[in-house]
Amino acid sequence: MADLAQPVGILRQLILIAGLRWRMLHNHLRRKQNRLDLIGLIVVGAVAGVFLIGVCFALYAGAYDFVSTGRISWLSLLFWIIFLWWQLLPVMVAGFGASFDFRAVLRFPLRFAAFYIIGLVYGLADFTGVAAVCWIIAIIFGVAAASPALLPGLLLMAALFITFNVALERLLGSWMERLLAGRRTRELFFAGFILLMVSLQLLGPMLNRYGNSAEPWLVRALPYFSYFPASLVGKGVGAAAAGNYGAFALAAAGMACYSALFGVLLWIRFAAQYRGEELSETPEPTKIASKTAPAETGTDGLSLLSPQVAAVIRKEVRYLLRNGFAAMLLLLPPALVFTLISQSSLVHFMGSKGISPELFFPGLMAYIVLILMTPAYNSFAYENAGVQTYFTAPLRFRDVFLGKNFVQVSLIVTELTLCIVAFCYRVGTPSAPIFLATLAAIVFTVVGQLSIANWSSLSFPRKLEFGQIQGQRQSRMAVLIAFAAQIFLFAISSVVLGLGRWTGDRWLPAKAFTLLAAAAMGGYFASLDALTAYAERKKEKLIEALCR
Amino acid sequence: MTDLAIATEKLTRRFGALTAVDNIDLRVTAGQFFGFLGPNGAGKSTTIKMLTGLLAPTSGRMQLLGLDFSTQSVEVKRQIGVVPEGMGLFERLTGAEYLNFVGRMYGLDHGTTLQRTRELLEFMQLADRPKSMIADYSHGMKKKLALAAAVIHGPRILFLDEPFEGVDALAAGALKALLARMTARGVTIFLTSHVLEIVERLCSHVGIIHQGRLVAQGSIGELRAGIAGEEGSKTTLEQIFLSIVGRSGAERAEIEELSWLT
Repeated sequence: MADLAQPVGILRQLILIAGLRWRMLHNHLRRKQNRLDLIGLIVVGAVAGVFLIGVCFALYAGAYDFVSTGRISWLSLLFWIIFLWWQLLPVMVAGFGASFDFRAVLRFPLRFAAFYIIGLVYGLADFTGVAAVCWIIAIIFGVAAASPALLPGLLLMAALFITFNVALERLLGSWMERLLAGRRTRELFFAGFILLMVSLQLLGPMLNRYGNSAEPWLVRALPYFSYFPASLVGKGVGAAAAGNYGAFALAAAGMACYSALFGVLLWIRFAAQYRGEELSETPEPTKIASKTAPAETGTDGLSLLSPQVAAVIRKEVRYLLRNGFAAMLLLLPPALVFTLISQSSLVHFMGSKGISPELFFPGLMAYIVLILMTPAYNSFAYENAGVQTYFTAPLRFRDVFLGKNFVQVSLIVTELTLCIVAFCYRVGTPSAPIFLATLAAIVFTVVGQLSIANWSSLSFPRKLEFGQIQGQRQSRMAVLIAFAAQIFLFAISSVVLGLGRWTGDRWLPAKAFTLLAAAAMGGYFASLDALTAYAERKKEKLIEALCR
Repeated sequence: MTDLAIATEKLTRRFGALTAVDNIDLRVTAGQFFGFLGPNGAGKSTTIKMLTGLLAPTSGRMQLLGLDFSTQSVEVKRQIGVVPEGMGLFERLTGAEYLNFVGRMYGLDHGTTLQRTRELLEFMQLADRPKSMIADYSHGMKKKLALAAAVIHGPRILFLDEPFEGVDALAAGALKALLARMTARGVTIFLTSHVLEIVERLCSHVGIIHQGRLVAQGSIGELRAGIAGEEGSKTTLEQIFLSIVGRSGAERAEIEELSWLT
């Protein structure tokens, strides 16, 4: 070799990777299609910024109050909040952030120490980490304002707390990644996760029933929490304030041990990645179940539809059943409704406040429609390269929309029926005018949204992977359109309901919604041909977005 | 143009300032095994996407089997089969489910779809994993399934974008035999491949695209005669290809300057 590559320092490598991420974002936004995403990004960023700053003020005020009133050990409470945010949120909302696989840098001549530091630094670079650090800084300012003498001890404990959290968050993320590398494991995990989220809704009723008997157990368990890192911070600062430097040193040593322990575990984990860990989707060879493919009977009652529409419906149903994450999300709304109406306290509350089913019923139905309609705004998300079939096959695109919308509407009808039956049984039957008005309003809002959602699916498609939430992100423009459409349609519905109340004509909303529903149906069928032509114009963008 | 399977007139596709396909006039006779060659970025995939309805041309005309694509696209699509770039599979279906889906999308009746699905899965040696989803298939299995889907409706023109990439030798042999049988029955095959040996062995006619322009078109014999003169019979397709689209002497000299590689 006439020339040799020079070793690149860790700082230089960090700058290079930061530059790479910036170029990726910049190039993404260079496309006209993605530029619209910037609007969504700005809106989301503004909301996140307001939230971050709001919590900063709250934590500043809390820290100032605790210290100035002598309750220094209560600072632990604030650090517990940050700890839970830092460790739980990345798991819960990973779907909202784009992922960057920093292991991609492994192809370059990188020393393990550099790889480890890059991994740690990127643990600080996401929104969760940035927000947590900002909040810790807000606590430090609050403490400093109340008692500057506590600052040195707090700074040490805060630094150890940040180190511990970064290491733990990266370790959990890394293990999750390994666990979720297999498709089946991943789908099982997310099915379990959604079930857990649903079962959290039962926490309220359980606390109502068993809260009193559980309290002594909780009180007995509380002292053990003081050995956890978040508690150690408050404990250490409190000890320093009291001049008990031995206890402070012990707390700091405890924090250092936690940081070191998780730092070492992360080191071991990253070392496996550095060596070239195989995270593959390909399953191990399985025992062959039979020698021939199972025959399909084809007697599924879809023979009345055109073959193309029926084929799309069958495919959509199969996809739904195989997408654990999407299927569980569909189960979520009725599960929440059942949980809500099964709470005796709610029925009692409604009775005591004189709230009739008249008011509660439309609200619940609107909630279910709101949740269930969201996926329709990106209905090609899971097609990936398969979307090309719709353009190479001899069919009109309206057939694809008819098939997809048929499945969507069937799901909504099934879930709404279940919820209506449960509601009437548990809470009571609403009056005929309200019941019929609600049903007509549902038709109006669902069908009205379908036309907009079909247009949005063609205009702002975004590829999503099955059973995966890390790195999954809808087009922000599609999210905004869904939001705007839902607000618009629900605003019209509210105006109609308001008119009924104002005029005193109880049947007016039912009549008005029936007319609106008929108009929405007409608009929907009229839109199908226009959307077929639009799909032809947008096919390049659609294929590009889904095949990438 | 009615005896032609594929005919284009000044077919052009621009992406902003870039002209990916520039005024090409393709002529592919029915029953030909046509190889479409070109270096990376020459415009092969863009052309095949336009010919299969995945991409709209900026200008120019396309006729397939005498049908104008711009006015009779559904009828054209009924007559063609496609293995697109990326294969276009629905990965969360099993192989049998996917073939059933495609068969129905092309308007085959239920019984015919089932029968052809069974036969194609057997032929492609995909029948022994009936419950596996396509996502769990190997790359070669996916290629075979994509080809099965492209032929399930008995197309008169078959478009194949790199059909042998990632396919093992045994399967490739079976696929080549299938394609040869199809051309013998009058099916036109339009194939792109970077493996010139395969094209030379399978194709009767070749078109070469370079920087968006169709720079050569004809039977391999005609190209040999046109390029190699007296030594034509000994010239391989690779030599013909390189002589047409190969780098200029100045560019080669630049490459030779990369002395630090040795």
